[in-house]
Amino acid sequence: MGSRGASVLLSRASRIKTKLQSTLEASIIEVEDVSHQHAGHAAVKGTQGETHFNVKIVSPKFQGQSLVKRHRMVYDALAEELQSGLHALSIIAKTPEEAAPK
Amino acid sequence: MATRSLSNALLKGVGGIQAARSSRIVSGSFYQNGNKYFSTVPHDADTHEDFRPTNKLQGSAVSLKDVVEQDVKENPVMIYMKGVPEFPQCGFSSLAVRVLKHYNVPLSARNILEDPELKSAVKVYSNWPTFPQIFIKGEFIGGSDIIMNMHQSGELKEKLKDIGSSQKSE
Repeated sequence: MGSRGASVLLSRASRIKTKLQSTLEASIIEVEDVSHQHAGHAAVKGTQGETHFNVKIVSPKFQGQSLVKRHRMVYDALAEELQSGLHALSIIAKTPEEAAPK
Repeated sequence: MATRSLSNALLKGVGGIQAARSSRIVSGSFYQNGNKYFSTVPHDADTHEDFRPTNKLQGSAVSLKDVVEQDVKENPVMIYMKGVPEFPQCGFSSLAVRVLKHYNVPLSARNILEDPELKSAVKVYSNWPTFPQIFIKGEFIGGSDIIMNMHQSGELKEKLKDIGSSQKSE
């Protein structure tokens, strides 16, 4: 791949997972690369993929936070990725209570 | 077709200081309820896009911020999206528009693909890295995930209930 540095050896999906796990103490984290679903659109052309991801994350840190706040927390943790070609995230952010089956 | 001279509004609104330097005008068009308002300087609203002088003046982040502020203050429902409501250029933008149109409220939109500097200014304003971005009554609401979530929970209906229904003619 490119010569951008050691982190490139890990896929973006793994980097996202690691960053979210450490920053947000996620108990459950699922990261799915769905870039191929967006392959037709303008911003994706000319990239190497790894532009659009679905993220599901369960973390106690979301307690008492609005959706906007939760999404901001995720975006903040992934700031570097967002500046290096990560284009969009579909985020599901729940607390352990919300995620538990009823 | 009505013309909206956003530049004039900007100059008047911010005292003498802004008027002295040429404020950065947003290139591209502003959609409101299906009527197209040109926000670039040319006074001829019927001029085709190809013939409009490009206004790539040195971007002044301050005046773009004013544009965003004005957008969200004056329009009860404001979306910064990829493409335009009639022709979205991204699945998330398309979804957001569809959800909002469900409520029959006036929808105002800007196509951030047309203007990279506006795109950056909006990201800074809302402290949010992705598009679409939806503002309701001046408040940043979130992106398409959040709008969809609020639609499903009934929260969106609450937020929009006292906004008058959209009118087709001006």
